[in-house]
Amino acid sequence: MNFVIEMRRHLYILMLFAKNSIISQMEYRANFVTGIFVEAAFLVAKLLYVVVVYKTNIHIDGLTPDTILMFMGTHILLTGIYMGLFFNNFQRLTEYVRTGMLDLMIVKPISLQFLVSVRHIEVGMPIPNIIAGSIMVSIGWSASDIPFTLLNILLFIIFIFIATILTYCIMIIPPLLSFWFVNTSAASEISYSVWDANNMPKLIYNKWIQRIGTFIIPVFIVTNYAPLIVLHKLTKVEMVWGILAPLIFFMLIRMLWKQALKYIAVQTCNFGCLRKGEEESL
Amino acid sequence: MKSAIEVRHLVKNFEYYKKEIGMRQSLKNLFFREKLVKEAVNNVSFSIAEGEVVGFLGPNGAGKSTTLKMLSGILHPTSGSVNVFGYTPWERKKQFKQIFSIVMGQKSQLWPDLPAGESIFLNKCIYQVPDADYRRTLDELSELLDVKELLGVQVRRLSFGERMKMELIASLIHKPKLMFLDEPTIGLDIISQRAVRNFLKYYNEQYRATVILTSHYMRDIEDLCPRAILINSGTIVYDGELKKINTHQDEKKLIKLHFSEYTTLELLKEFGDVKEFDGFYAEIEVKKEEVRVSMQHFLYRFPVVDFTIEELTIEEGIAKLYRGSA
Repeated sequence: MNFVIEMRRHLYILMLFAKNSIISQMEYRANFVTGIFVEAAFLVAKLLYVVVVYKTNIHIDGLTPDTILMFMGTHILLTGIYMGLFFNNFQRLTEYVRTGMLDLMIVKPISLQFLVSVRHIEVGMPIPNIIAGSIMVSIGWSASDIPFTLLNILLFIIFIFIATILTYCIMIIPPLLSFWFVNTSAASEISYSVWDANNMPKLIYNKWIQRIGTFIIPVFIVTNYAPLIVLHKLTKVEMVWGILAPLIFFMLIRMLWKQALKYIAVQTCNFGCLRKGEEESL
Repeated sequence: MKSAIEVRHLVKNFEYYKKEIGMRQSLKNLFFREKLVKEAVNNVSFSIAEGEVVGFLGPNGAGKSTTLKMLSGILHPTSGSVNVFGYTPWERKKQFKQIFSIVMGQKSQLWPDLPAGESIFLNKCIYQVPDADYRRTLDELSELLDVKELLGVQVRRLSFGERMKMELIASLIHKPKLMFLDEPTIGLDIISQRAVRNFLKYYNEQYRATVILTSHYMRDIEDLCPRAILINSGTIVYDGELKKINTHQDEKKLIKLHFSEYTTLELLKEFGDVKEFDGFYAEIEVKKEEVRVSMQHFLYRFPVVDFTIEELTIEEGIAKLYRGSA
């Protein structure tokens, strides 16, 4: 019962964060519109892959260009979701640690992980990705003759939800490392590269990379499992792993989060030593 | 009186790396880092009663903020124990977080692009304040601080003083019974400082809230805190009534002299500790029992046109304690 009440409270606060973020961002109209255009330009660059796939009529282990389009669309859709929900927050997390703003958040009677993960929701920049990703998935879906049933839609949505959780788990790791190392921009660059390399079906990689990308850093689940489930190409083992992976990785991230918090509270002066004006803040 | 805070033998050590100037040192630092330990808080013990307002004073780097962070659960101590209203702060229990609030003059919890009312409402939801209580408290606090009309104005358009008032409302919307105030008046003009002080005084009296205040403005401390805890180099050097700080010092008076002609410093030095001197004006600390004799000499030997004899200021007493313990 308590869990349900807490979930409802957190959801309500999430809605408030979203509302506050929308109001804040619309305050700066020029930046809001420019953000959309910039992201649209990036999107056009990504769409060149689609052109290449169709021009070369590439087939990957039985996947036609139409089905590959679904994978690419899922990747772009998830990029939009990541940018909307998490990107801004993860960028700020490093700042919170560096400037000591985390102090004011730690004392709030709400999950700190929740607070720093979704406090600032981006509205403008994800729009092109979410629209384009959804259209690409729809076109690929239709062209691949996948039945448009309620079950298929539900399964696709469930795996997009799973992918969102895994995206969170993967992409929060570099900013979380900033609790120990303060500046983790190099790790962030790696995570962005891994993310971008995931815009095609995992079948283009060799078996070992597929295994690593599925079981160790489950980035392939993010883009592959939602299309594969509606194409009936997801094995039972993969399906079970697809359901278990977000639970396991979220628990691991939760543990890492607790360790990170413990580290800054116990091991280092964190808010003092590594910041400008360190002596004043001790 | 019931105890609100009990601190016993609190110690906090920080590890950090030595970083010297120059490229060569930076290169060396890349491969080898010399670890140093800073004793930020060293065996600190005190207790604070419910409803008490205590000034927590000390020079920069003395350990004030670190102690406050341990009392509020932000930092874990290296050793020692803290009990705050029955809770161990660093366990960070939700119920504990509901009973206190922390205000840091140099950090803001308000969303700059939104009206302050939105951030306050967000805090209402986070602290689960019932609607009726929220409305009543918001009305009361905003009227007291005279910012009711400004609740709908974007935070970034408010003056610094108005913003601090909004910070206070946001921090107190859940009616905490304990407040940690870390330099709440820093950067404010005199009028805003006074308004904040009056408000804090009212809040303490009205709700019997326990308050720990750190501030470099003596006026804040003198107006609000009957009791002061002085900390220097991580150790408590004084814990007692603020007005008695000077009684712990040598019994001295401050003689202020104005001269009609230029006077040399050397001649004045034999009477006491010259605190200020510019040739035509001097401030000299003199032992109480020597005031009478010294004054006779001053009037007889120097071209004095005006003088006053004053008690040492609390600020001076505090500075002496800092110097004595350093």
